[in-house]
Amino acid sequence: MAYSQAFKDHISNPRNSGQIADATAVAEETNPVCGDRLRLSLRLDADRIEQAKFLAYGCPPTLVCGSVLTELVLGKTIAQASLLTRNDVLDALGGLPSRKHHAAALAIETLHAAIRSIAANHRSLTHVKD
Amino acid sequence: MVTSRRIYLDHSATTPVDPRVAGAMIPYLTEKFGNPSSVHHFGQEARAALERSRRQVANLIGARPNEILFLSGGTEANNLALRGLCEAAESYGRHIVTSAIEHSSLRGVCETLEKRGWEVTRLPVYNTGIVELDDVRTALRPDTVLISVMLANNEIGTIQPISEIGSLVREERARGRRHLWLHTDAVQAAGRIAIDVEVLGCDLASLSSHKFYAPKGTGALYVRRGVRLVSQSVGGHQEREKRAGTEGIPGIVAMGAAAKLAAEELAERAAHVRTLRDKFEAGVSQRIKDIVINGDHERRLPHLANISFRFIEGEGLLIGLDLQGIAVSTGSACSSGTLEPSPVILALGRNDELTRGAIRFSFGKDNSDADVDYVLEVLPRVVQKLRNLSPLYTRAAAK
Repeated sequence: MAYSQAFKDHISNPRNSGQIADATAVAEETNPVCGDRLRLSLRLDADRIEQAKFLAYGCPPTLVCGSVLTELVLGKTIAQASLLTRNDVLDALGGLPSRKHHAAALAIETLHAAIRSIAANHRSLTHVKD
Repeated sequence: MVTSRRIYLDHSATTPVDPRVAGAMIPYLTEKFGNPSSVHHFGQEARAALERSRRQVANLIGARPNEILFLSGGTEANNLALRGLCEAAESYGRHIVTSAIEHSSLRGVCETLEKRGWEVTRLPVYNTGIVELDDVRTALRPDTVLISVMLANNEIGTIQPISEIGSLVREERARGRRHLWLHTDAVQAAGRIAIDVEVLGCDLASLSSHKFYAPKGTGALYVRRGVRLVSQSVGGHQEREKRAGTEGIPGIVAMGAAAKLAAEELAERAAHVRTLRDKFEAGVSQRIKDIVINGDHERRLPHLANISFRFIEGEGLLIGLDLQGIAVSTGSACSSGTLEPSPVILALGRNDELTRGAIRFSFGKDNSDADVDYVLEVLPRVVQKLRNLSPLYTRAAAK
C-alpha cells in the first residue's frame, strides 16, 4: 500500500492524541459500516480553538485523519473550522486511496458533531440567562 | 523512527526461495529450456526433470508419482479439485460438505457451484477452530458427493481431523456408497507437518510450492488413482489430459527440489519454528495484557501464532510493526480490501473487536532466536502506543 510520507509521519508520530480534561466540546462518531471510531475534544478561547485532541479506533487512515484534523483546526475560529471539508483532510495527507476516503469523512463528521455540541451548549446557556 | 532491520514473520503468506532451490531451477531457465512434449534431446531433458519433480512432490505426501498433477498454484488446485470432481460426479448428487474456515479460493468455488444449483453445507469450527467429526457424519446426505476440508487453516493454523474424516469416507464406501470423495487443501500444511495421503485417506489434495521455499506460480494437485476429474483447461495432452498447456518447467523443478528438501528437513524445521513460536507466545502473554491466542493450542501448525489484541485494530498494528521492520499479516477488514472482518476469526465466535484486532505471526526456517527477542521488545511498545490512542482502551482503563 503506497501511503504518503505525511501519512507515515502521522502514523509514527500522531499529533495531539488524548483527551482534554476541561474540554469545551467532545464528540465521538462511529463509521457504521466498518466500526471505526473517532473521539475529538476541543477547548475554546472565546470562539477560537486553542486546543484539540483526538482518540481513534480503526484502520490506520482513521488514526491518521484524526491526527491531521487536530492540526487543521488548531487556531481556527469555529466559523473557519466549520468550513473544513474532507478534501482539506485528504490534501493535508497528500491523498489517500479512494477506498480509504471514509476515514477523512469520519474526521469531518466528528468535527461537525463537536461544533454542533458547542452551538447547542451556547444556546442552552443563553436560554438560562434569559 | 524507521528501522533498517527487517524481520519476516509472514511465512504463511509466502516464503523466500531457498538458495538451493533457486540453484536447482536456474539451468532450466537457461540452457535446459526444452519443451517436455518435444521428442528431441532438449525436450527429453525437460521431460526427465518434470518426472523427477513429480517423484519428489509425490514423496513429500506419500503419493505415487502418477497421482501428481502440476498446476499454477493452490488456487488452481482447489478450482480443479472441486469443479473437476463436481462436474464428473454430478449425476450422483449435487451436495458438498465443507468447513466455515476454508481458504478464499475454496469458498469462491463453492459459491460459484451454489449459483449452479449445488448445495453446500459449511461446518462450524467452534472456539477451537476445528471441525467435529460428528458434524461431518451428520451433514452427509444421500446426494453428498464431496467433502472438502482443509488440512490446516491459513489464518490460525488449526489442523483438521482429515484422517478421521478419511476413515469415515472409507466406512461409507465399505457400506456400499461408491460416490463420495474427500478433498483436502493441504497448501498450508505441506512442508510443515508430515503428510501421508494414505493415512489421511483423501482422494484429492492441493499443494502450493511457494509455501515451502520455492517460487510463486507452481502448485500441484494429488489425484488418487481412479478418481475422475473433468479438466478445466483443454486443448493439450499435458498432465494426463487434466491440464492443457506447456508445463512451467523451471517452477516445477523448483517445487520438486523444495519438496525434497522439505521432506529431508521436515522434523528439524518444525522443531525450530515451534521453539520460536512457543517462546514468542509465552513472551507476548507475559508482556501484554488483554490478548487472546486464537485457535486450538495443541492441534495447530508449529510455525504460526494468531493473536487478538483488544482495543486496537489489526492493520494499525501491522503498519506500526512494519515501520519497525517487522512483517506480519492481519485478516482485518481494511487490509483484506473488503469491509468484512476475517470469517475465520468470526467463526471462532470472537466479537468484532477481537476479530478486528487479530494478527498472524508465522515463523520460518530462517528466523532466529534474536528475531523473537527483537519482536518481543518492539511489539509491546507498538501495542501500547495504539492503545493509548484508542477510545475503547481509555474507556476500559477509566473503569
